[in-house]
Amino acid sequence: MKKAEMLFAANYRYSFDRDLYVNREVKKAFSLEFVDDKPEEIVRKGIEEATGGNGWKFYFNLPPSERVRQQLEKDLEAA
Amino acid sequence: MPERLIEDRLREEYFDLLPEIQRVLWQLEAEIRFHTLPILHDLKKPEQLLVKSRVKDCESAIETLRRISEGRQFDPEQASSYSLLDLPDLAGVRVLVFPDRRLKEIDDALRGRFPDWIAKPIPYVEKTRIVPKYFGYCHNASNNVRGEYQIVPMLLGLFWEVEHSAMYKFRAVANSKEMQERRADVERSLDNFEKGIERFIQF
Repeated sequence: MKKAEMLFAANYRYSFDRDLYVNREVKKAFSLEFVDDKPEEIVRKGIEEATGGNGWKFYFNLPPSERVRQQLEKDLEAA
Repeated sequence: MPERLIEDRLREEYFDLLPEIQRVLWQLEAEIRFHTLPILHDLKKPEQLLVKSRVKDCESAIETLRRISEGRQFDPEQASSYSLLDLPDLAGVRVLVFPDRRLKEIDDALRGRFPDWIAKPIPYVEKTRIVPKYFGYCHNASNNVRGEYQIVPMLLGLFWEVEHSAMYKFRAVANSKEMQERRADVERSLDNFEKGIERFIQF
């Protein structure tokens, strides 16, 4: 299964402003670059990873800084 | 006092640079027109050679810089590291040629004038063909702002103008297998049309 299809099947939606695959219910977001660059198995593991849902988990090639993370969380919660 | 937005600092940088960007564009366009003039004068009836130039507009430049970061978010902790001078295409010239049998001739003529410019060709028709693209400095106009030129088969270039503006903000869709195949179909058709023209018209 293609990586984007895997994400859509797991209820992720694509944010065109941010180029992120986002699932607000489980509070996880995958960057377009991460999905493009990583093998299917890594993306699958990310989708299946249990995070507890207390805070957002970002799957990026380069982890976002604290301030970028805060801004993204704010925007994703508001959207 | 509220923190100054990175976007505002980049807007100030843009308008500080604008006269320099304009100088680079004038220089680059004039040189490209000069070096392609013998080819222009030698064109046969159905052939066309068009030189188009543009200064990248302020918001588009900032958006391009912003879209380099994952999550499309400037990092305030790295505020001073962002500069529009990182963009190679603030001043850009596109040479459109129809049909593309003259493309190599134009590429060779301009390469002779800009031998040290860095090549960054654009692949098309599923990476089986390339459009020559280069960027570098016109040192008599600026040592800061780079210029960029590309030489594009005319039909392909006109298609890309529409396609890029429609797909620019939708990279995931543009990169999808389905859209890549459709884009390749159009590019292949345009390429075949140009080959057909070359085959059937006596130059």
